[in-house]
Amino acid sequence: MNSQRFDEETLTSSLKLLAGEMATLNAPPEIEQKLREAMRARAVVRPFPKRRVGYWVAAGIAAALLIAVSVVALRPRTDKPNQTTARQTDQPAVKEERSVEVPKILEPEPEQEPQKQIARNPVRPGKRRVPHSEVANHVTREIATDFMPLGYVNPTTFQDGGQVVRIELPRSALVNFGLPMNMERYHEKVKADVLIGSDGLAHAIRFVQ
Amino acid sequence: MSVNHLGAMNLQSEPGDSELLRSMLAGDEEALALLYRRRQGSVYRFALQMSGSKPMAEDVTQEVFLFLMREGHVFDPARGSLSAFLLGVARNHVLRRMRVDQFMTPIGDDDDDEAVFVATGTDLRPLDDLARAETIELVRRAVLSLPPKYREVVVLCELQDVSYGEAAEILGCAIGTVRSRLHRARALLLAKLRPAEQIDDESSASLKSARCFA
Repeated sequence: MNSQRFDEETLTSSLKLLAGEMATLNAPPEIEQKLREAMRARAVVRPFPKRRVGYWVAAGIAAALLIAVSVVALRPRTDKPNQTTARQTDQPAVKEERSVEVPKILEPEPEQEPQKQIARNPVRPGKRRVPHSEVANHVTREIATDFMPLGYVNPTTFQDGGQVVRIELPRSALVNFGLPMNMERYHEKVKADVLIGSDGLAHAIRFVQ
Repeated sequence: MSVNHLGAMNLQSEPGDSELLRSMLAGDEEALALLYRRRQGSVYRFALQMSGSKPMAEDVTQEVFLFLMREGHVFDPARGSLSAFLLGVARNHVLRRMRVDQFMTPIGDDDDDEAVFVATGTDLRPLDDLARAETIELVRRAVLSLPPKYREVVVLCELQDVSYGEAAEILGCAIGTVRSRLHRARALLLAKLRPAEQIDDESSASLKSARCFA
């Protein structure tokens, strides 16, 4: 064969010769025996033949557990602000009587100029003292009116700081400030933030829903 | 599927590869044996022709069927035959092994690797048999010396007699790529085999001249 020229035809015939020579070759029988043993071992080790189903069931259970844990973990966060507001509403219960009287004593004046000043300025000191998380919750959950002055207020009153106190008032107090009231809910109370100056007097109020 | 059921099927008709695979995955040992006996030859030969090493071919054959036992559910009959699937798995194993083995140096002579082919000298023409065995060995070495991407095409299309379409499926490429690679591989084989011929011619010529002078 070596004396022949290796052209395309010779190559094809040589490859066929090689293929024919190897056509009878087979893997040794020991491999079949090993595979059988592996299969038996596998059957003993793994009682569930459908591994995929088991995998997905386990994955589903894990996902459900993860969701449950995350729900439980997130719940206290959402409840905290309610507890703090409850605490706040409980605390000023004593003050409530005192502050309820404030609107009676201090009649709002029709002058517009001081009203603007008070409505902008007094919020700042209150905001500084309230923790950020609470502020965020208030912002996201509550709708509040602008602060309405309870009588004439000198802006210098708040130079020494002030305090916003959350109180609950009878719903009829809305009418006193010229706000509409739902008569069907007259027996319910309404939340309000009262701005108390350094002199200890209530200077402005806003209603919160 | 139980053994009896397979036996009954054998009486009627040979069960298909997919059917055997399903039974095997369900834990039927006889289905595994049937499938193995049916498909081991092509897997073993492919691995042997690709690697030129009997131990590697045996290992690869075993690994392919172990993979089938483990991950047989990934086989999709709509995408091709089980034979092509097994050859594809075998190819991946062979290439992986060859990548690892290229950094290793063989220690000592491995007679088994060299004795892949047994000359069939049953007739009364020993010189013809010798020439034939020599040619086979020459071509085998030339095929083994090809780069893997050309070697696998030659092994599949020329030695395993796999169609171009099936080869493309096994190799994960287009039929056109298979054709062009095969063309290039044949050209490389011719280039590898011709110099040997020329060298032989030259040596025989020098021998003749030496005889003349003698």
